[in-house]
Parts: sequence; C-alpha cells; structure tokens
Amino acid sequence: MIRHLAGELRRRWLLARAPAGPRRDFLAVPWPRSGLPCAAAGYLALDLETTGGDPARHEIVSLGWVCVDGPRIDLGSARHRIVCLAGAISAESATVHAITDDEAAAGVPLEEALRELLAALAGRVLIAHYARTELGFVDAACRRLLGGGIAIPAVDTLDLALRRLARLRQTAAPGSLRLGALRRHYNLPRYPAHNALSDALAAAELFLAQLADASPPPRLADWLA
Amino acid sequence: MSVELAEIRDFVAPLPPFSLLDAATLDALPKQLAVRYLRRGSDFPPADEAPALYLVRKGAIERRDAHGSLVDMLAEGDVFAAPCLGGDGSDRCTAVEDTLVYLLPCPALQALRRAQPAFDAHFAQSTAERLRHARRGTAFGADETAADPLAQPVGAFAARTPVAAPPTLSIREAAQRMSEARVSALMIVDGERLAGIVTDRDLRRRCLAAGLSPEAPVTAIMSAPVASIGPESPAFEALLAMTRLGIHHLPLVDAGGVRGLVSSTDLLRRQGTATVHLARRVRRCASPAALTAAAGELPELQLRLAAAGAGAAQVGQALTAIYDAVSCRLIELAEGELGPPPVPYAWAACGSQGRHEQTVHSDQDNALVVHDDYRPEAHGAWFAALAQRVNDGLDACGVRYCPGRVMASNAEWRQPQRAWCDYFAAWIGQADQRAAMLAANFLDLRVIRGDPALLAPVHATVVRECAQHELFLARMTANALANRPPLGFFRNFLLEHGGAHVDAFDIKRGGLLPISDLARVHALAAGRAEIGTLARLHAVAGGPTLSAEGAQELAEAFEFLGGLRLRHQSAQLRRGETPDNLIAPAALSALERAELKAAFAAIGRQQAVLAQRYAVGREV
Repeated sequence: MIRHLAGELRRRWLLARAPAGPRRDFLAVPWPRSGLPCAAAGYLALDLETTGGDPARHEIVSLGWVCVDGPRIDLGSARHRIVCLAGAISAESATVHAITDDEAAAGVPLEEALRELLAALAGRVLIAHYARTELGFVDAACRRLLGGGIAIPAVDTLDLALRRLARLRQTAAPGSLRLGALRRHYNLPRYPAHNALSDALAAAELFLAQLADASPPPRLADWLA
Repeated sequence: MSVELAEIRDFVAPLPPFSLLDAATLDALPKQLAVRYLRRGSDFPPADEAPALYLVRKGAIERRDAHGSLVDMLAEGDVFAAPCLGGDGSDRCTAVEDTLVYLLPCPALQALRRAQPAFDAHFAQSTAERLRHARRGTAFGADETAADPLAQPVGAFAARTPVAAPPTLSIREAAQRMSEARVSALMIVDGERLAGIVTDRDLRRRCLAAGLSPEAPVTAIMSAPVASIGPESPAFEALLAMTRLGIHHLPLVDAGGVRGLVSSTDLLRRQGTATVHLARRVRRCASPAALTAAAGELPELQLRLAAAGAGAAQVGQALTAIYDAVSCRLIELAEGELGPPPVPYAWAACGSQGRHEQTVHSDQDNALVVHDDYRPEAHGAWFAALAQRVNDGLDACGVRYCPGRVMASNAEWRQPQRAWCDYFAAWIGQADQRAAMLAANFLDLRVIRGDPALLAPVHATVVRECAQHELFLARMTANALANRPPLGFFRNFLLEHGGAHVDAFDIKRGGLLPISDLARVHALAAGRAEIGTLARLHAVAGGPTLSAEGAQELAEAFEFLGGLRLRHQSAQLRRGETPDNLIAPAALSALERAELKAAFAAIGRQQAVLAQRYAVGREV
C-alpha cells in the first residue's frame, strides 16, 4: 500500500515537471489501482541484457518483453530489440548474451527501443526476476536520453519467491531462487536459449505460476515491489 | 533476421497438425498464441477463456467422459482441438499436473485452415482418408506403386496387343504366327473364350519330339484348360500364381474376354524375383534340414519386399505363399517316408496362415481333416506321425509351435470329417467363451494340401448355420471385443483403458487381431465364406451390419497397422534382432502417434457399434 502510494506520488511529481514527449506520455497514465486483484491487472514482463551490473557505468545490450493480461500471456506482444552500441561489445559479454558486434551494429538506437518499451508499458505493471536491475537501467536510460527519471510499478518474481519461503518459515537453499530453479519447482519447461526475450517469457510464466499458487488471491498492493 | 520466439516455433514445428504448415506460416504462428498456467487439479479448459485449440507444453491433462471413465490423457506436445471442432463439451478435463498450455483462438485456427489446404485436410479428412494418406505418404517411404512395380495392375505388363489365334489353325501356321510376332507363347481363342495356350516348349515336346505332323490342328498340342487372372490384379499375384502352378505364361481375362498375356520373365525383369526363387527352392528341398535352411531366408525376403514398398497385404500374401510351400514340402517328405496315406485327408491351416496374413513372427496353427473312412486303430499311427513331422518341421523353419496347441499333432485337431461337423455344431450351440474362441480360430481354416472337398462342405454348413444363430453371433462378438485397442499415448507410454500405462504396444493383440475378429463376425452375420480380413471387410461393406464407411475405416486401419508392424520388424531385422509385434511409443514420430491414435479410435468405434448391436457388455 505504501509502495503504491509513494510510487504514484513520484509519478505525479515527475509528470508535473516533464516536457512533452514519450516520457511525459508514459507518466500521464495512472498506475493500476492498488486494490485491483492481481489476476485482473495488466503486466509487461521485461528482461534486459547488459554489459554489467551498474546502471551508471554499464550499457543495455538488448531488451525483450511480452505483455501479460491477468493469468494469460499474449505472445503477439512479444518484442526483442538489440541495441546498436557505440563501442565494441566486450568478448565476455558477447559470450554470455550470444550477441556479436555485427548483430549489435544491425540493431536499433537505445532511444528508439526505449520509446517503444514505454508505449507498451503505460498502464501496466512491470514483471522481472530481480526487478531492481531492469528498473535501474530503464531509469538511467530515461535520465540520459529522455530528460529525466521515471516511475514504474513492478512485481519482482524473486521477491515473491522470498516472501513465499518466509511464509512457509523456510530459508532459501543456495541457487534455489534462480529463475531456472524456481521454474523447475513449478513444473515449467526448460528453455535452453538465453536471450532477453526468452528470459522475459520465462519470468512471465513464472509469474503465472506464482499467481496460480497464491491463496487467497492477492491484490496488487500486496505484491508491488 | 532470426525468428522471435524461435524456441516456441521449434517446439510446435514437428507436432501434427502444425507440421503440415509451410515454413513462413510456422514462423508467424507463435505470435498468434497465448500462454496459460494451470495448477494441478484445475478444470480444463479454463472457464474464462474463449474457445481455442490447446497445445500442452508441459504437464498433463486427463479427459473423462460423462460417466467418469478415462477417455484420454494429454501431455507434452498433445493437441486438444475439440473446442474449435464443435465438440459436445460433455467431457470433463482436469490438469493432473501443474501444466503450461499454449492457446490458439478458434478464429485464428479457422484462418489457418482456410489458407493452408494440407493443414485443413488434417481436420476435414475422415479417419479412413487420413490413414490411407499416412500409408501412402511419408510414413512408409515412397508411393507404393512407384516403389514396387509389381504392385501395379498386371495389365500394365502385358504386350501391346494380345497375340492370339483361332483353334482352326494348323501347328505350322501357329508357329509362323509366333515367329512373325516374336513371341514364345500363343493364346488360342475361340470367339471370346480362351481355349488354350501353345508355347515354344509345346512345339518342341508335343510336336517335333513326338513326331506329330505340323499340319495337325494346333489344338492337338495346346495346353487346356488354362489358368488366367484379371488384368486389374496386382502383378505380384500373377507371379505367385505362376509359381504355384509351375507355369511361365498367364493369360489376362476379364468379363469382356481375353485382354493379354504376361510371362514370368516380363514380371521378373522388373522385380520381385526373390519370392519366386525362394518358392522354387523350397519345392526342390530334399530334407527337412534343407527346408530349414531355405526358410532361413524368409526374414531377408520380408525385408526386401518391405524395402521395395510392398504393402502389408502383399507381404502377407508372399510370406504365406512360401510358408504354404514349406508346409506342402514337409508333407511330401513325410509321405515319402511313411508311405501313401491310408485314407484321403486335407491338411489345413488357420490363424494368420489361413487368412494369408503371415509375417516372419507368426505361430503355426493347423489341423487335419481326414476322410470318414478313418479308423483310429488302423490309421491313427500314420496320421499322428505325419502331423508330428510337419509340426516339428515348421517349428524348425521358424514357425513356432502354437502356445494354445492348435496343431495337427494334437489329437483333438486331427479328426475325421464327421468329428469336425460335430465340433462346429457344439461350438455354435454352446454358450461358453472357449467355444467361441475355438470357433473363431477354426472358421479361418484353409486347405493347403490334400483334398479341399473334405473341408468345403463343413465350412459351407457352418457359414450357413452361423448367420441363423444370433446367440452364437453375440458370443463371437464378445470374443471379438476381448482385445481392446489402447486409448492413446501418454508421454512415452501407451494409455490403456482404466488408466494403466505400459511402455510397449502389442500391435497384433491391440490392433490387427481386433480388426480380424470384427471382420469375421460381420462376415458370419452376412453368411459370407471369405477368409482374409480385407476380403471379409470388402464383402460385407455397406451391408446390414457394417456401413461402407465403417468397413473402409477398418480396412485402412488394418493396412496402416500392418505397414507399421512391417516397418518395425524391418528395423529389428536390420539390427540383427528377432522380429516381434511389440512397438515402443518412444520409437514413433509425433505424426505416427497421431495416425495410430486415429486407428485405435476407429477400432474402438466399430467395436462399440457391434457391442450395441448384439447387446454385449464391455468390461472397462
């Protein structure tokens, strides 16, 4: 409840100061009501591949997202955007993300991908596994490219898993909170590919499983990160 | 650019019916799907969804009918299209594991069907059409007739215009006509009627060597009467007939008269020499040991026929022809040692040999019908010795002893004609299950050596009697329903009625035999004397007990299952294993599973129809 209230206040504060443009358009859409049942809200599951963990120093390499309407993933909304970067991608990062310099050169400018993402995300709640990364990188990109910070409501599938353990009075075994391990727990398929879109879809499916598992049915205010 | 959601595309691509979509449509398919997660115990489909086709990505769903009986189970890769196909919705489905499903909304499915004819055919085709398509299509390699020239009508092999002459010709004129036309055989035709045939060999042996005048009428040296075959019969059958009769030319005759002449060289030049050579070799074998060695080539023969694209029915015909020849030769050899039979008799085969449906894995089923002059004290020893030698010989040749001891060496099945009449009368009149089982077995009796007249009247009486006895038909129906096909597949298991999972499928017990049993009951009800399964289905199609569609569906299922067994046994033979009837679901492609499930469903449907007709309860 507090998170929702604080988030909405921040959104209005930013909106009042935002110039016309994609950031203002996004901020103009209110967050879904806090009392809304989670099964009735709209979501967007997002995954970013980055050159490192620090939004201040590292860059977004690719973005993948897919929209979720209550208990249902709409694959028609799935997008995968590779960003054309100024500098060459480090060999280490290229290995992890399987994106080569050539692919990156053929990608889109980050600002274009960001505008597209914000348009899809307006009025929805972001889903991510360890959402702090996605929120931090999107906020940093908005500051750098769109003239200021952003306020995005989010549910974190990792946070939901931790809360479930706490409720069951269990502690997490090493590795048991990773996306793949949690998916196995819910009998979800293994995705061998590792890219931003498949990871976004993986998080979306995990969210559906957590939603189906939750009792009593949660309201948005209960789950916001 | 690589396909977004390629992982989902790759999952869907091999699954029928999506495997029938073209590549571009398949690439675009994932974007039309939605994803839902169902907790174990949830109802399926979800109540808040518009009608859609469902595809199970992970997990398991159970389908039960209105009475709570298990109808089907769905697991990874299984498609549930009923909501888009006007299903009546009476089934109750539940997720029995945590399950992830993909949904394709019905309007999107309809649009795909309109745009992609092959995909549409999967939904629109009848079971019979689908199975026929499967048999001809990729599942069993190339088109049958293209792969095996001998599967074509024999008429295709005949010379341009038939070379024929009237019976009024002299031998010299006939020889001149043959030289001019450069043929080695001449048909003698009297009006429309085929009167006889003259070959180079007849000119040599019956004219020159015998010192007959060339001015004598050609009828003096012609062979008559002459065997013939319809021009529409497969070339294969013509070849087998020539082998059986020991001749090299066979006229083609139909209702309209003489159509042509084929020689064994015409056919052998093309293909299929293996069967004929093996039959010849069997007939020349001088000892049971030599026969065993010759029969050792049967697996190789089955392999070659199957590889050449011959269908299950053709392979069954060919193998049965060889096993018949082996049986005959064993009997001749035994007679050679035992001396001539004290009274006339007929050696008859039943089971798959009786129906011309043998494979290299078949058991032996046979019996002796002896003339009524038979006196046990005087003649018993001779027939017992004959039966023992032939049964032992067949076993040594790979046709294993019958586990149920339906063999001539069993005194119960080595009886004079009157005893057989009493047997059948008792089976038709009695009410127990064993009687029905034995009747089913011996209704497939076919004489393979000796006097066919010994069995013919028994068979004719029985066929006539059966049709009059509704109670007997009801028991035969119960017997025919004893083997039920599985419900379908669940992961790499067969799903049986009641929910048991088994990891191998006896394609004979659970597929071929139930069809043969159904065909027999329908034939009996119609008073038909045919013995082969396909011949019976053909004979009763569209009659009072079996619709034309029902018969076609069963016939296609029979050929499809036979083809699958053939391919399974070929793979085993190539690996050096002993062929059997046990098929592991893991070895089947998704498409083959779908076709097999359609065949199971067809058998189940026809069993239910028959059960209802004779008011026979079915155990679940």
